[in-house]
Amino acid sequence: MRLHLRQRLSIVWLALMIILSLAAPLLVQHDPLQPVAPPLSPPSRNLPFGADNLGRDLWSRIAFGGRLTLSASCLSAVITLLFGGFFGLLAAYVEGRLERGILWFMNALLAIPGLLLAMLLITVMGPGLPTIILAVGVGGAPGFARLANSVVHSIQQSDFIEAAKALGADRGWILRYHILPNVKAHLLSFATTYYAWSFLGITTLAFLGFAGDPSIAEWGVLLNSGRSHLIDAPWLILWPGLAISLTIISVHSLGDWLASDVQFRADKLTKQC
Amino acid sequence: MVSLPDRTAMNAIVSIAHRTFEGLLTAWAAVTITFFALRLGSGDPTASLLSQGLATPEQVDALRHSLGLDTSLLSQYSSFLIGLISGDLGHSLYTGRPVSRTISEQLTPTLELALLSLAIMLLIGLALGVLAAWDEKKPIGRIAAYLSDLATSLPVAFTGILAIYALSLVLQLLSGNPFLLRLKHLFLPALVLGFALSGGLARIIRTSLLQTLQQPYILAAKARGLGRGFRLLWHALRPALPPAVSLTALEAAFLFSGTVIIETVFSRPGLGRLLVSSILHADYPITQGLVALSALFYTASQILADITALLIDPRLRREE
Repeated sequence: MRLHLRQRLSIVWLALMIILSLAAPLLVQHDPLQPVAPPLSPPSRNLPFGADNLGRDLWSRIAFGGRLTLSASCLSAVITLLFGGFFGLLAAYVEGRLERGILWFMNALLAIPGLLLAMLLITVMGPGLPTIILAVGVGGAPGFARLANSVVHSIQQSDFIEAAKALGADRGWILRYHILPNVKAHLLSFATTYYAWSFLGITTLAFLGFAGDPSIAEWGVLLNSGRSHLIDAPWLILWPGLAISLTIISVHSLGDWLASDVQFRADKLTKQC
Repeated sequence: MVSLPDRTAMNAIVSIAHRTFEGLLTAWAAVTITFFALRLGSGDPTASLLSQGLATPEQVDALRHSLGLDTSLLSQYSSFLIGLISGDLGHSLYTGRPVSRTISEQLTPTLELALLSLAIMLLIGLALGVLAAWDEKKPIGRIAAYLSDLATSLPVAFTGILAIYALSLVLQLLSGNPFLLRLKHLFLPALVLGFALSGGLARIIRTSLLQTLQQPYILAAKARGLGRGFRLLWHALRPALPPAVSLTALEAAFLFSGTVIIETVFSRPGLGRLLVSSILHADYPITQGLVALSALFYTASQILADITALLIDPRLRREE
């Protein structure tokens, strides 16, 4: 499928953010945790994004914050995909009553909104960035388990599964050699969707103050600490807010494109059969 | 022999009863998970009081006794369930006040915000969805589709802060107007939340409308000389309603996570801020009560959505 302008812009933005995070030490002149200027200095040549309420360089905090936020949300998306995928596939593999049991448990967890489930885990483990990563990852897992399970079931309806069964393949074989390769086609689209969820979840929870340490340069934390100087230093919320918003918009628009691409290929596959 | 309408009504009642039972079972499971997660993970909640020097060992023993923490986990669980049914959610660890009273005090502002947000979501979602399908290829339709994508993507925390900033600039010009203050505390947060939620609804309505417009009966309506607006709003919109209703119910059930953020951003009192502060202070009876409440609310909204679906979708009432 063709890449539209929106997807191209999204890829460019995400690439810029990744470069910014990787090359953060080369791109900034000041330590993100040390005061370098009078508090709330407006943007200038020395400080392109201005200084925060403690006089720290905001540009440097955004660059180093990108490292933290992007890698943290990557990690928690991986946790969601592993946890949810494991239970979703396990349910499809065991079949019957056990499967219904697992799915019922996942449905019960879905009765608690994902963000609340994450907060529940934070209550159990105490605030902090590692907790947030794990909590957001686990919070998304029940939804993904159900999604993965339904994808497996839709593949199981295909004729080639019937053919494999007729040839005497057992469940494990079918799962490994016939279903997993077809699930892989959806994987990139799933990963994008859950990356978006993790990114939003982590910045939101950090924004709400669950990151523990308010001095860390995480985008959600930056957005929250900028709130108290909204009128005298609006740039403090502008940069982290834009970084969060543009990243999430880019991930979403890539996700939509990938989902329609998967649908497109699935349609082509059924037409060929 | 029972006449047909009675039987369809019976079917509807049976299926609603079935869904209600299933929903209650789910809610029970969610509440149970919450209870055990909080117990198994945090260990003894009074330990933090002791370590912070907020209480003497004797006081902690008394507190443990009054909270029922000196009994076995199973008996704690059963008394928690019995309490939940009778509306008793225990007492706050810090203020010692009943959790149910603390929650009901904060309920009104959150409910106000949630209902107004839902209304705004329906309004914006319907408008954007219909507009996007109406002028699918023209700039207005594209802008509507783009706006609804933007609504789902933009984080409420940021849009909320921007809205406050914009309003504060206006307020500097018109300082101290009581109407504007009301606007700041209720209408603006509801608008931000309602806009964020409207994206999904607009998308579902747009997709469904575009699909339905391909149907032969729309062509038939066109052949009968019915205008485009009439076809779109009268014939095509109706099949879009059932998925729209179920999505709205889902959004309503998850509205609580939205109010958590909005209440923090706008410094509004309410259940969301109560939840955040209860977690940060490890006041687990309040956390537990709020999560249980949201699970029950989720169940109720799902049941309500099923009933509404039966009412507006005649296909579901037909016998199988």
